[in-house]
Formats: sequence, C-alpha cells, structure tokens
Amino acid sequence: MNKRSSPTERIRVAVGVSSAGERASTTADVAGIPSQRAASPRPQAPRPREGRAGWRSTVVWTASAVALLAVACALSLVVGSYPASPARVLSAVLSPGQADVDTIVWHVRIPRTVSGLLAGSALGVAGAVMQGLTRNPLAGPGILGVNAGASLAVVTAIALGVTTAGGHLWFAFAGAGAAALFVYVLGSLGRGGATPVKLALAGAALTAMVGSMTTIVTLLDAATLDEYRFWAVGSLTRAGAEVTAAVGPFLVTGFLLALTVSGSLNTIALGEDMARSLGTRLVAIRVLAAVSVLLLAGTATVIAGPIAFVGLAVPHIARLLIGPDYRWIMPLSALLGPILLLLADVAGRWLVQPEQLQVGIVTGLAGGPLFLYLVRRRKVAQL
Amino acid sequence: MATGDPPQRIYAAYQPAIELAHALGVSDRLAGTAFLDAKVLPEYADRQADVDYLPSLPSREALLQANPDFVLSGFNGFFAEQGADSSVGTRASLREVGVQSWILSPLCPSEDGLTDQSIDPATVKVENIYRDLRDLGALFGVEDNAEAVISDMRERIATVEKQVAGVDRPSVAIVSPNEDGTYGVASGIDFGSHIIERAGGTNAFADLSKKRNIDVGAEELVKRDPDVILTDACCDASMTEQDARPEVDAILHDPALSGLTAVENKAVHPFLFADRSAGVRAAHSVELVASVLHPDRVG
Repeated sequence: MNKRSSPTERIRVAVGVSSAGERASTTADVAGIPSQRAASPRPQAPRPREGRAGWRSTVVWTASAVALLAVACALSLVVGSYPASPARVLSAVLSPGQADVDTIVWHVRIPRTVSGLLAGSALGVAGAVMQGLTRNPLAGPGILGVNAGASLAVVTAIALGVTTAGGHLWFAFAGAGAAALFVYVLGSLGRGGATPVKLALAGAALTAMVGSMTTIVTLLDAATLDEYRFWAVGSLTRAGAEVTAAVGPFLVTGFLLALTVSGSLNTIALGEDMARSLGTRLVAIRVLAAVSVLLLAGTATVIAGPIAFVGLAVPHIARLLIGPDYRWIMPLSALLGPILLLLADVAGRWLVQPEQLQVGIVTGLAGGPLFLYLVRRRKVAQL
Repeated sequence: MATGDPPQRIYAAYQPAIELAHALGVSDRLAGTAFLDAKVLPEYADRQADVDYLPSLPSREALLQANPDFVLSGFNGFFAEQGADSSVGTRASLREVGVQSWILSPLCPSEDGLTDQSIDPATVKVENIYRDLRDLGALFGVEDNAEAVISDMRERIATVEKQVAGVDRPSVAIVSPNEDGTYGVASGIDFGSHIIERAGGTNAFADLSKKRNIDVGAEELVKRDPDVILTDACCDASMTEQDARPEVDAILHDPALSGLTAVENKAVHPFLFADRSAGVRAAHSVELVASVLHPDRVG
C-alpha cells in the first residue's frame, strides 16, 4: 500500500519535509546554478526545499569528495599483491617500461581503477535518478530489471558455450536493454502510461520471472553454474580497456540525461500533481530518466557485473551530506559511487591475500553496516 | 561396508569413478554413469559407449530409479549436505535405502556429508589410489584386475620418475581464467600438485593449502611467475586436450600476463581438469606433464 496515494497527502509530505529542513535559503541562486528552465515561458519551478546544508557546505562536501576520490584512485594504483612502492608505481604511470611492475600498473591496476570510476559513478547516478523518479527511497538501478535481464543473458551465453573476445559483456548489455524495454512497455500499458509505481512493479515481476529462468539454466548444468557464480559477484577485474572505451559513449549520454532531468526531479519530489501544475512534462521526464537509468545501470553491469548496494546507498549519503537538490545530488553521487567501489576493491585485495574478495562482496559486507549507521545516526533525508 | 555378495549394480559419478570402474573391468556392472569432465581415456571409450550416461549429476530420485546397490563417486559433492553440486543425500541416507557407497580416498572428507574443506591433505597422493584400487578390487571380486592396474600405473609413473631424476625442476601453475578476471589455480593440496612433482616440476602455488582450488588475481601470478602454465579445461564428455586450446590462447593473449616467463616462452600447454583428478588417469597425466616439462627426456 502506497502511503502517498492521494495528491493532498503528497503535498503534505513535501511541506512537512520542507519545514523539517533547518536553514532554508535560496542556496541555488547564490551558488550560481543555471536555472534549468531559464528560457521557458512557463512559471518557474520553486526552488527545492533546502536540507540542512547551505551552499558553502555543498561546495565543501563536493570538494572533499573530489579529494577523497583522488585518494581512492591513488590507493587503487598502489595496493596489490605484487609488491611495488608508491614511487615505483608513479614512475610506471609516468614513463612505462617493460618491467613486471609496468605491466601490472597498466594492465591490472589502471584498468580496474577505471572500471571502478566508471561503474561507481554510473551506479551512484542511476540510483539517484531512480529514487528521484519513483520517489521511493528503496529504489536502485536494479529496479528496472536490468541486473536480472543481464544475468539471464549472460547465463544463457555461458550455457550455450558462447565465448567472445569481450567475454559475456555484450550479452549483459543486450539483456539489460531487453529487460528495461520489456519493463517499460509493460509499465506503460493501461491508464496513466508509465507511472513509476507501475514501472517498479513490472520490474519486480520481471526480476522474479527472469531470476527463475536463470536458476533453471544454472541448475541444469553445473559447469554453467560454476562460471556464472564468478559473473554474479561484482568485480572490477573483468573489463579491459577495449570494453571501457566501447561503453564510454553510453555512459556519457546517461550522465547528460541525468543532469538534464535533475531539475525536474526536484519538482517531482513535490508530488506529481504539483509537478504537473508547475509545468513539468512528466512523460518526457520519465522517458528521459528511464533511458538514463538503462544506459548507466546497463553500463555498470557490463563493466563490473551486478552490484546491488552502491546504487541504493550512494544517493542517500549524498542527500545526507548536501540536502535534497538533485542538481547537486547527481554530481556528488557520481563522486561518492566510485569512492565506495574503489575503497571496497582495495580492501578486498589485501583482506584475504593471496586470494581476492570481489568488490561486490566487500561493498555489501562493509557498506551495509556503514549505511545502517548513517541511517540511524541522522534521519534519512526524505524524498 | 556390508559383507556379502559383490555389488552388481554400480553407479559411477564423476570422471575418476567412471574410469576406475572401467579399469577394474566392471563396466558390465555399471547401472549408470554421470558427469564426465572430459572424454574417457581411449582404452575405455568403447566400454563407456555401452553404458548409460548423464551429463549432469542425477537427482536422488533419478539415482535410485537406476536401482544401484553401490555408488562410486570421484568427488565428495555428490554426498554433501551443502555443496555446489546437486547432491543425492549423505552416504548414511543412501545406506538406509540399502545402497552402499565409496568416495575415492584422495577426496574423501573426514565426515559424511562434508566437502573439500575437510580433506586430510595426507590422503591426497598416488599411493591412496592404489589402496582404493586394491580395496575396490576385493569388494567387486576382481582382485587380479586391480593388481594389474596398480602395477601398470606404478611402472609407468616409475619410468617417468627415472627419466626426470635430477633435472632442474621448473615451476608450474595449473591456471584457469575465471569469468570475473581472476584466475583459478590448483593449490598444494590438490592432486595436480602431486602430478607436477612426479613429472619433474614444482607447483608454483604449492605453499597454499587452505583449499584445493584457489582464485588469485593477475598480480599474484606475475609475482610467482611460473615457468610453465597448464590449463584446466572442463567439463564436457567429449573434451580432449585439443579442446583446451582456447584457454591456452586466452592466457597467451592476456595483456596482464604478458610478462610471465611461461607466456614469453609460449610454455602454456593444454591440460584438462580431468587430468589433475585423482584416479587411474594419474599415470597418463604424469606422462603428459613430464613430456611437456622435459620433452628432451620424456617422449
């Protein structure tokens, strides 16, 4: 049962959140954010209610995130089971030679760092878009059935013995796309078109159905299961340079779309009726947002496999830090996602040497309690 | 073990058990076979063609439907309470319905229902295969066949050991690239380690002894820098060493491994998971690995 089923209820909730914010101010203007609809003749959307963060703290948090991301990247380049000093790694980065260290830096550590950067940003932003679009704090990029579709495609490819140069990455992408398309068509049927609730329900139904099919394939063949279980844990060591380069355009498009809709997500946060009355074109925004999530989540799955937790937690952390303005949540999520992934990956490298803990396992194991702590310590910003 | 008549309807699960049954000459008593990792050795191909075969493990119901009085298993997962393989129930639960069972001792866990974690490393050796052959030979009433198989294996392995005596022992890793960018390697407690030793090499991962199969990153492989890499291809009833070629190529063309001695010297060789399993195949495997490591001495 949706607690926010009536329009008046929605507005009341929104207002309640607004009054809970402590120091409301016209932050966005001061920060010089270009208005999303400056040229529009329609009435301006109201400035989103501000959380506790003023613009100074927004800038400080964003700058801190940039710095922390730089640290995470540096750690990702330096930590590994092959012993190499930071100075030696630096020289390998700047002037690569033929030694083992150079091979490791260029063919192991840099690719996995790039994978972490891309997949982390994509997951963080996709989660933020999904939560904003559905106004559901539990929404994550997986809600469109993307991970489930990708998993089925990959497991089918494994079972059929298909091996390509890029591994099963393109199957993952095709599966993610097919699932998202199916969910979107299913969610669009009936009155009102593709509402977020119908999308989420269609996604949940598809995930259950496709999940069963994946289980069937893995149960039928132990060898397939054996290979699939390595795909099913998220990992940053899978994608090589050619893959990350190939998915780059999808990622950039997804990011741009997310930024484009971020202003409208602020008005959607006030309730859909309110948003509509303020001139937000809901259908167009929903389509753009869904395409953005597909591109971002699909790309992340292609690069790293299904990673569940990051897309859920990162937008919440961003919201806790800087408040509810999606125009800032998007870039901050793009920074926090890779920080989380890269630090988890680094931890996974030395925790169980000489083996490795895959990043998907570490984000769940370490990120879960951290997230719970944050949620308990500070009231989660409402959507 | 219940006493009485020798088992007449034997169900053999996994490569080592199936090959061992053929080697002992009890193929005509096989009520069913399941889960080959590779093509059986050429000398057993005709016999295998004549028996019922399932590519995956049977369910408990399907197993009992074959009406076996004895289940012979090459690995422990078949009887595990919690394992990756589909299980037909513990050995005790089979005994309750009158079905006796046997796990080849190099993979036999310390207690019924457990898996690899509880194998005593001291049991993972060629001598234990001989012991199994002798015991099963007595149980099946084919002692002479068992002795013949044992002496053939002893002779072939001893020949190889003589040929490689005193050589420089290259370091060898049994490697299989995983889907997530890690590499599965055979540890010191895997039977593969013994095959490498007897063939005149040392396992580059011999010091690891927590599990039979360990997944490591590319960095660990570069750090240990094996002289020779053997692949670990699996699992298909028609697979031969030739089918491991794609794995060889994948390792040779992996940019992260380009600096490995084994890759630079193109010393990456096709090898099968079946070849490193503890069973009557051991003689074949020792000869194969020795011919790869020391081509000048072993033909």
